[in-house]
Amino acid sequence: MTRKAKTSAKGIFTAAVTSNRRIRECFYKMDLEFTGAGAKAFAKFQPGQFLQIDVSQVGLPPEHRIPAHLRDACRRDVLLRRPFSFADVTVEDDRTTAELLYCVLGPASVRMTGLAAGDPLSIIGPLGSGFATPRGKQTALLVVGGMGAPPIRCLAKSLRATHPDMKAIAFVGAKNAGSLPFEGHFDRVTESVDLFIPAFARFDIPAALATDDGSAGYHGLVTDRLVRWLDKEDGLPPRQTILYACGPEAMLAAVARIAIERDIDCQVSMERRMACGIGLCQSCAVECRLEGSDETVYKLCCQDGPVFDAREVVFARTPQGD
Amino acid sequence: MQKASECVCPEAARKLLEHSMIIQADISVDFAGLRLANPVFTASGTCGYGDELADFMDVNALGGFITKSITLKPRKGNPAPRIVETDAGMLNAIGLANVGLERFIEEKLPVIAKMSVPVFVNVAGTLIDDYVAVVERLVRENAIAGFELNISCPNVAKGGISFGRDPDQVNEITSAVREAAKDKMLIVKLSPTVTDIGIIALVAVEAGADALSLINTFTAMVVDIETRRPVLANRTGGLSGPAIKPIAVYLVNKVYNEVAKDAGVPILGLGGIRTAADAMEFIIAGASAVAVGTESFVRPDAAVRIIDGVKEYCVRHEVARLSDLVGALS
Repeated sequence: MTRKAKTSAKGIFTAAVTSNRRIRECFYKMDLEFTGAGAKAFAKFQPGQFLQIDVSQVGLPPEHRIPAHLRDACRRDVLLRRPFSFADVTVEDDRTTAELLYCVLGPASVRMTGLAAGDPLSIIGPLGSGFATPRGKQTALLVVGGMGAPPIRCLAKSLRATHPDMKAIAFVGAKNAGSLPFEGHFDRVTESVDLFIPAFARFDIPAALATDDGSAGYHGLVTDRLVRWLDKEDGLPPRQTILYACGPEAMLAAVARIAIERDIDCQVSMERRMACGIGLCQSCAVECRLEGSDETVYKLCCQDGPVFDAREVVFARTPQGD
Repeated sequence: MQKASECVCPEAARKLLEHSMIIQADISVDFAGLRLANPVFTASGTCGYGDELADFMDVNALGGFITKSITLKPRKGNPAPRIVETDAGMLNAIGLANVGLERFIEEKLPVIAKMSVPVFVNVAGTLIDDYVAVVERLVRENAIAGFELNISCPNVAKGGISFGRDPDQVNEITSAVREAAKDKMLIVKLSPTVTDIGIIALVAVEAGADALSLINTFTAMVVDIETRRPVLANRTGGLSGPAIKPIAVYLVNKVYNEVAKDAGVPILGLGGIRTAADAMEFIIAGASAVAVGTESFVRPDAAVRIIDGVKEYCVRHEVARLSDLVGALS
């Protein structure tokens, strides 16, 4: 099993919103600033770790600003915190800034769209264990499915800083050209591997794109695009390669199968419905194989993950998470 | 004289408080012979085994701590999804996932031994003998103040709530565990999903319960209308959170009036407590102490905030001793 990144001290902190805007379709980008103890805690944030945001006290925006298809759903109360992963964290002296990328899907995320610069936000974190890079890896393959983008973006930056000589390629999958959670225009992107996603290109990481409808990049699943690339790269030494993936569970299961078949180390970032995020509620069960046994156990996504070694996870056959 | 509680302006309230007779209220409570520093517990299954909360609050500041349920053998628990949020609440169906008695003794008991707060071990099982075996093994541990008997878990196929619904079984299991618990305190945790909670409470007290805790969750369901399946893998789960609070307050008051008051048995009230005001409702209705559950998921330090709020309430109302308010409902 791969050694996990060390966890840092966690706590409840109040961050200040510095900006909050829509980037495309249902995707929003919120910038946050931590000062004091929060700045110290989140300065140690590892890519793949997560945080729990409390929007239960945040009011709904005026009805005309709520997407029509969500107006009914938004009448629901929000009680529990919502888990998110940061897409970027920057440490400057005594303040830590972070970028939160979110998709507006229901009552909690609609409330988030109403937050403006200067508003406080209660955040618990950093939580769980992030991605780790074992020794001797020369190539990192980053696989993103839809809203799985934030932790992988964060990882791209960190890999470039800690492993400047490592080759990295991102494989990004989405429904269509318009549903990519990145800034930029992608409708003319071809099937090639190129520096067309600014969020990866700024770290010299080229990307290959796959869309379900073929409106950009490869027409098909991102995992099929990955297989095509791997098949062409027959000189790639599996032991010196690592796969990192975040996205829907069916995609993670496919990436895990590919990794195991080719004997490539693989870490997947899992998602589960959770109440607390700190090991109290025991709700975020991820079924895992016990090494050297046919038995399985339930590990907790919040504490044992959210990043797991792909070989240990028994992937769910039905969709999980929110 | 104007009372501080009537002041809208905090500054004026503070000035009045400075002149009031009460500077510090005694919020300690007598709980079945045990003197607790304050009436606030954390509820079983919402705060782990003690060390999980260390980053967020001083667990020893609590009035009491109740562990997650322990069963004789380890339990894997239910598949995910195990929770779903509802309006003003949530359903859980964890399925009593726990490390089992042996690993509890090895791994968790040393942590508990370092805690100065009275710790109660919540015990669950599918057979009466299982409950008795757990209690018999733990009864000699000095680190434990007592046991909370879980006969009200709605999320397991056998045991749990099936004990708590039948007065004969409540009598049998409470008597058996009472004997095994020797001089340790025995709290029996009651389910609200019974025809008459007063009868169950009476049976538990007559069979030797030192205290009653109520309420556990309500069996409930959320349907995913896209897949037309229940959201929870277990299909049903226990409803907790603010949605159940008024029912819990009512049932605490009912059990207090019908059983607990005359029997001199304290009630640990719980169900949807988020604030000190909520806690005070339970106390006035008849609870000697209260437990915070679901709210700890949202604010892991909620219980200690509630202790401060209870203190402030007493000062504001010039109540010298909180225990005078237990069951003070007029």
